[in-house]
Amino acid sequence: MWRGWKYGGLLVLLFIITSCLNKDEAARYEVIFSKDTEIQASARPTNEKYTIGMVPKATENPYFNQVEDGAREAAMDLGVELIYEGSPVADTEQQIRVIRNLIARNVDMLAISANDSTRLLPVLMEAKRHDIRVITWDSDTAESGRELFIDMVDPETLGRHLMDALAEQMEEEGTFVILTATSTASNTNEWVKWITAQNREYYPQMTLLQTVATDDDPQKAYSAVMELLAQHPGLGGIIGTSAVVPPAAAKALIDSNVTGLHIAGLSTPNLMRSYLEAGTVQNITLWSPKKLGYLTVVLAKNLLDGAPPYHGQDIRNVGEIRVKGDTVIMGEPLDFTKENVDQYAF
Amino acid sequence: MLFRNRKRRFRDFRLSSKLIIVYVTLTVLPMSLLGVISFREYTKSIVEQIGEYMPKFLDQANNTIDQHIEKWSALPEQLFNSTDVVRILRKDSYQSRANLNTDSYVVNNYLSRNYLEGSNSEILGVFILSKNRLYAASRMEYTGMDDEDLRVPYGQDIDLRGKAKLLISSDFGLKFDNNEPYLLIMKQIDDVENRTSLGTIFIAVKMSFIDGIVHSFENNPNAEFWLIHSEGEMFYHSDRAKIGSYDPEIHHYPVKNGSFRKEQGGTTWIMSISESQAYDWMLVHSIPLKELTQRMELAQNVNNFIFVGFALVTLIISIVFALRVTKPLERLSRLMKEVGKGRFDVNPQIHTRDEVGILAKSFTSMVSTIQHLIDKNVQTEISQKEAELYALQSQIHPHFIYNTLETISMAVEEGEKETVVSMVALMGRMLRFSVSNKSRWVTLAEEIAHAHDYLTIQMFRFEDRLAFDISVEADEMLFTPKFILQPVVENAVKYGMEQRQRLNLNITITEEQGSSGRERRRIVFKIKDNGPGIEAERLQALNHRLLYAVSERKDSGFGLENVNARIQYMLGQGYGVRLESEYGSGTTVIIVIPALPEAGSP
Repeated sequence: MWRGWKYGGLLVLLFIITSCLNKDEAARYEVIFSKDTEIQASARPTNEKYTIGMVPKATENPYFNQVEDGAREAAMDLGVELIYEGSPVADTEQQIRVIRNLIARNVDMLAISANDSTRLLPVLMEAKRHDIRVITWDSDTAESGRELFIDMVDPETLGRHLMDALAEQMEEEGTFVILTATSTASNTNEWVKWITAQNREYYPQMTLLQTVATDDDPQKAYSAVMELLAQHPGLGGIIGTSAVVPPAAAKALIDSNVTGLHIAGLSTPNLMRSYLEAGTVQNITLWSPKKLGYLTVVLAKNLLDGAPPYHGQDIRNVGEIRVKGDTVIMGEPLDFTKENVDQYAF
Repeated sequence: MLFRNRKRRFRDFRLSSKLIIVYVTLTVLPMSLLGVISFREYTKSIVEQIGEYMPKFLDQANNTIDQHIEKWSALPEQLFNSTDVVRILRKDSYQSRANLNTDSYVVNNYLSRNYLEGSNSEILGVFILSKNRLYAASRMEYTGMDDEDLRVPYGQDIDLRGKAKLLISSDFGLKFDNNEPYLLIMKQIDDVENRTSLGTIFIAVKMSFIDGIVHSFENNPNAEFWLIHSEGEMFYHSDRAKIGSYDPEIHHYPVKNGSFRKEQGGTTWIMSISESQAYDWMLVHSIPLKELTQRMELAQNVNNFIFVGFALVTLIISIVFALRVTKPLERLSRLMKEVGKGRFDVNPQIHTRDEVGILAKSFTSMVSTIQHLIDKNVQTEISQKEAELYALQSQIHPHFIYNTLETISMAVEEGEKETVVSMVALMGRMLRFSVSNKSRWVTLAEEIAHAHDYLTIQMFRFEDRLAFDISVEADEMLFTPKFILQPVVENAVKYGMEQRQRLNLNITITEEQGSSGRERRRIVFKIKDNGPGIEAERLQALNHRLLYAVSERKDSGFGLENVNARIQYMLGQGYGVRLESEYGSGTTVIIVIPALPEAGSP
């Protein structure tokens, strides 16, 4: 009888032994669940270096030189080839030639600050035919000519602000003139529109006498101011919507010993520092042109990578951007005064 | 080899052992297997569940951690909301110490107000290192952040390209009062307008912020969490002592997003890992499997208990059953041995109707049949011996010899020489028939010749008083038992001579068909006398005795009975002697035997 028990006991023992055999000293791992995915090769191979052709309105303009600095910084950060070329002064014909030249060099994207919103269209169409994508910055063309416009500030905000800045200095009465870049550049025209709108709405005592184009040429601006001073002896203020205008105007005031005339407008701190400190000019407005250059190259690269900008996007080294339709707005305008001008190095 | 050996031996096991083993293999083993399998399956399903949802929780936790860090990483941008702070940070040089101290006061004040107060309770301190100046706001006393011995691993003007860099307590010289572990978020302050760097901001965050996040979905105290850098450095661990040490197993982890089972030294852990989307680290969760199956182990113990109890009860039942089956078999085998020794009056006392009962019944009936057969054989043997004895008795009576010799003597005196010669010859033939071969069987011819010799001698003695005739209508070469005709004839002569002056004997031997068609042919001897006959009552009694008294062992001295008994013993109940008589006119003795073509019983 007990041999039977022994037999059964042996079976049980065997069972226990086999279930204990698994114990091992080295740790063993057994995957239960995995979400690991192979890193997909969908990301576009970046060995191909993009070439971005960036065209300013004029190259002999400190503002556009700052833009170039920013653009070059971004090109280095992002590893793209940047060709920054333009005509020395704002000239549509020359700009068209520059663009043609860039088309011939087969760039991947053109980023243009347009001197003329309509006359550039044919050459931009030509670029499109060569499979070159086009965006504009600083100054827009007609919508059909480009896929995106990068605006520094909201033109309404800026236009109204410039009017306010001058009105404050002139105590809301007197006559003034506006000196713009070119009569065909869309951005300045837009600003002028909002300047006059603000004028009409809030400052009935103030009268806009004349709007003069300066083609972003410091020399031309200087002579234009001189002319206007001669033309309008009681002139109370000047608004310059080209970065070359306020310094030229300030110089003209000093040179012609005119006092009691107020200057507002757009220019860089570097150009205006001495006039601000001397008190010739009290307030000047702009944005960081470097930042604009940087942003333009970043967005151009993103577009080439197939990532269009979106509202509220936080661009590294730039900040948050706004998007309205096909227009990107970089940020808010900066005001430079005697007190803070030293903080800015452009 | 061993197993085969065992297998062979299994065949030789006792039936009860076999039954128990079979029971164990059929019930206990499957039941325990079932139990083990169900436990394993349950564990597996728990493991799979945990393994699937834990990485999701970890992803969420990772996201939450990322969001927190994102939030803190965005804090430096706030600096630009304060024109004062931006102005001070942009300042390159100072005219006087007072000027510098005033500016430091402004910035420190700003940091304290904006970063330490309000909702940022997890922030331990904020430090700004800018142009060799240090601005600081801290919740606690700290050391190691003085501008003299500041140990920033990458120097002060590192280019972080706008991305926040994370450092942990052990990487950095900064120490808080109670050694509170922290996560240091280091970020370059970029002046986007001027495109320059204004310095670096360091935000120290209590590491315990992660506790809150992970404990929201796991509060088992035995579960562990840690964050490891891709090189294995643990910069967060739910066990504070392990912060800063290295996880040696990091390269063995089979997945980076998911879960796996780790077994070591007999313990199993379920580990889950989730890789941070934004940073180069992984959040790991580890819990011993035992913790997960704890609740179920109680149920398992109850199960085991029930199982053991059940197994015991059924085992006992099976043992009882096995014994109940084998006990009667053992008793039967014992009884068989007794029967072998000659005891036939055995009774197994098994009344069940199952196979064992049937076996017992068959056994009983077999034993009784054997007993019956033995009895019958003994009886037959005895009867045959008796028959032989009777046959010896039936041989020539000395009285007959005496009478014959006297007759011969008278014949000698009378000078009847021929008669003497004839009688002596007949006498000799009769004696030779009696003593000749031992066989109990003779041919009809010989038997008839013997009876004829006897009658011839008697005729010499009684002369005219006796007459006989014998007619044979049968094959004389058929066989018959010896001494059946002559004793009957002698009997007839004896009684006939006493009653009648003259006796006529009429002997016929015929071969007849059996009474029914299927019965074999038989030989009928009829010995008819003209004696006084027998009264009907007595005839009936005699015939009754002849028919039923065979088994009564007694020597009746009645010759017919002797013959009848022998015929019945030798040839069966269907044959024998019977009487027919009509009182006053004679008696016929009828002997019936089967027609035997060979010697021996049919």
